[in-house]
Amino acid sequence: MSGGRNGGLGNAAGGGRSNAVGSGPGNGRNNAAGRLLRRGLRSGLPPGRPWRAGAPSGWTGRVRFLLGRPGLALSLLLLALVLLAAVAPGLFTGRDPLTGVPADKLLAPSVHHPFGTDQLGRDLFARTVHGSSASLRAAGLAVGIALFAGSAVGLLAGALRGWVDVVLTRCTDVLLSIPALLLSLAVVTALGFGTVKVALAVGLTSVAGFARLMRAEVLRVRAADYVEAAHSLGVRRHAVVLRHVLPNAWGPVLVFAAVEFGTVLLAVSALSFLGYGAEPPQPEWGALVADGRDYLATAWWLTTLPGLTIAATVLAANRIARALEREEEASVR
Amino acid sequence: MARSPRTSTRPAALAAALVVSGLLATAGCSAGGSTAAAEGTPGPGGELTFALASDPVCVDPQQRANNDAIYPARQLVDSLTDEDPETGEIVPWLATSWDINEDATEFTFHLREDATFSDGTPVDAQAVRDNFDAIVRLGAQAPLGSGYLAGYVGTTVADAHTARVAFEQPNAQFLQATSTFSLGLLARSTTSLPAAERCTDHLVGSGAFVLEEYRPNQVVVETRREDYAWGSSLWRHRGPAYLEKLTFRVIPESGVRTGALQSGQVDAIGGVAPQDEQGLADAGFRVQSRSNPGLPFGLSANLARPALRDERVRRAVQAAVDRQEVVDTVLSPSFVPATSALAHTTHTYADLSGALAHDPEEAKRLLTEAGWEPGPDGVRVKDGERLSLTVLWTENFGPNENVLQLLQQQLKEAGVELRLRTAPLADFLAEREAGDYDFTWGNTTRTDPDIMRTQYSAALTNYGHLPADSTLEELLQGQNAATDAGERAGLSARAQRELLERAVAVPVFELTTVLGLADRVHDLDFEASSRIQLHDTWVS
Repeated sequence: MSGGRNGGLGNAAGGGRSNAVGSGPGNGRNNAAGRLLRRGLRSGLPPGRPWRAGAPSGWTGRVRFLLGRPGLALSLLLLALVLLAAVAPGLFTGRDPLTGVPADKLLAPSVHHPFGTDQLGRDLFARTVHGSSASLRAAGLAVGIALFAGSAVGLLAGALRGWVDVVLTRCTDVLLSIPALLLSLAVVTALGFGTVKVALAVGLTSVAGFARLMRAEVLRVRAADYVEAAHSLGVRRHAVVLRHVLPNAWGPVLVFAAVEFGTVLLAVSALSFLGYGAEPPQPEWGALVADGRDYLATAWWLTTLPGLTIAATVLAANRIARALEREEEASVR
Repeated sequence: MARSPRTSTRPAALAAALVVSGLLATAGCSAGGSTAAAEGTPGPGGELTFALASDPVCVDPQQRANNDAIYPARQLVDSLTDEDPETGEIVPWLATSWDINEDATEFTFHLREDATFSDGTPVDAQAVRDNFDAIVRLGAQAPLGSGYLAGYVGTTVADAHTARVAFEQPNAQFLQATSTFSLGLLARSTTSLPAAERCTDHLVGSGAFVLEEYRPNQVVVETRREDYAWGSSLWRHRGPAYLEKLTFRVIPESGVRTGALQSGQVDAIGGVAPQDEQGLADAGFRVQSRSNPGLPFGLSANLARPALRDERVRRAVQAAVDRQEVVDTVLSPSFVPATSALAHTTHTYADLSGALAHDPEEAKRLLTEAGWEPGPDGVRVKDGERLSLTVLWTENFGPNENVLQLLQQQLKEAGVELRLRTAPLADFLAEREAGDYDFTWGNTTRTDPDIMRTQYSAALTNYGHLPADSTLEELLQGQNAATDAGERAGLSARAQRELLERAVAVPVFELTTVLGLADRVHDLDFEASSRIQLHDTWVS
């Protein structure tokens, strides 16, 4: 899992490192950002919302589009279900995720308990469903932090250039040179336990990738004719940056956020597996896998089913991100 | 001498290969154990590899109290006396005899004359004095030993092999204390060193094994002392140990430990997970267990906290805990629920199971009486404050977290929220000193009832902030001053009752040491405190 989330970053930095762990099921290479970058370097005119440009228009068109891509349809469905579980877990299960029936401990999966029960007789399906909220919130928050902070750093570096650019770029280089999981561990150890702190730790270590990509996009857009035109018309520098550069630079960055979601979810789960997440008995996906690891020989479902849930969610997120990225590319061509 | 650890051996049913599917790497599981229990005669030779459940941190027997440090450390040192695990009788080891004065303030030990440390220096009266002086100097670094020596006046070297230890006040527990690893003797080259320098190296004892190396988080290696001839009078044979070499490997994951035993990578494992016991026994391994004397695993209240200063709240917690359910759900049939403030194998134990009955209605009644009314989220409230109690715990025993989560569930029923705060083993002592919690979770092993004083006396560490002028304090001091066995037993029983009725201690279950052994390992004995003694162990 370590390094996996660096795949995109490595490419963004022109390094060409890639890793299949955190990437989609199909092509196995998570180099969305790299491709976006190459595309970016070709320069081009700014479309309004480029990542939507290639999408088929109309309701029937969309359905036909999805029918031709069952993997994508399945991924969308799965992610929709997981998001729904995070928002309204009561729709999926009526069982209490925190209080179990000790007499019913370690029951294998059945109709009554689709995921079986854990060592204290709690319904594992209920715990997985209720755990999705904490895990997705942490992943979402982490991506949000990375997106916001990374974009701000990239925008500053790209727009101001000069020594600001040098300092910020060297800082992101330093961040990129430290293995991400190791850095998250160090940060979370300093911060303490809890879902929000885990999100903060993972988010901070993902800032560098976003900063790099945003800077590259800003540099590309800066050179465009309409920006020069704005300058020559006497528009102030910060207004040019906010009104003309930023809106035209953030498309690929947003797609990169989607690409990052899967790997960030893995990193969050890893920290939660190591015990830095929510306080027990609150369920969290990574913690559920960790709880079951002492029972690998006697109760396989405790690790396998929450583990498969994480894997399926990450794969679905990556599949969707890949589709977005393709459309982004198509829109440029 | 009778020494029969409870073992459960099964004719080796071939273990069906367990298919462990999943995303994560699986612990190697294979059908293990040879079918015919190898019989043979004890004899020298061979090596033993033992898997420890956690890193010892330090292998100095005088400094450490955790089992995984004591397993290797116990083999390095001899004690003045030994304790018979069956009868509790104190018998000769390095001391051939001893005299105790009337009021138990002066102990005179007559040492045997042939014992030497592994650096060649003699084990004499001066060595006894050096050790006891050093332990008192270590203070908090030697939490058990310095407690045993509380009120230490000094050791007089009467002649080369006669040492007289004097105390300010009666110290009835001291003779038993000399049989423990905490007062095991080390050579002057060790006792003259500061605490930190005698953890991984420079540990010179007179024991049957000599420390070869200790690499933290990895391994402790010990080799046999060839000229060893001063073993305890309890042991099965005289002379040097049978095993030539001991290797203690640190394997923290219980599943991996079990797998290592099943695949033959190790000969014996400590800390067998309750859920793995049956599987090991079915696969033909010996599961050997012995109940640990001392304080059972349980909650100890911190009376500095406002909610717990009210005795009714503490008693409500006492009544809300269902001990049998904890044992049935999280542990195994090797374990028993607590029936007193002391484990049932401790001297002067008194069965007080009536005071520890599960009574949720009584718990609710006590809380209502104390002014805590049911709140909106099920947790009781008083003056706008939720009844939320924090327990500080560490992973010194595998099932701890599951037990605490079950307690959380049981207390929730009475309207008490229990919050779990974990600290790594290395930070636990510092966190405990900081005092930011309502309960601590843990146990302490010792055969002598004086362990209650170590934990709950206001005159010692007193992490629970107990008052100094209580009946409990009087009883704790009284039992240590009593030289008459009957009087001491009476005072100890009253102290146990006081601890439970005031609900200062909320004992939950008694620790049982559970080892998994391969067929080729024989005579791996438990000493009186259920730690291992490897002098007589042999392999076939």
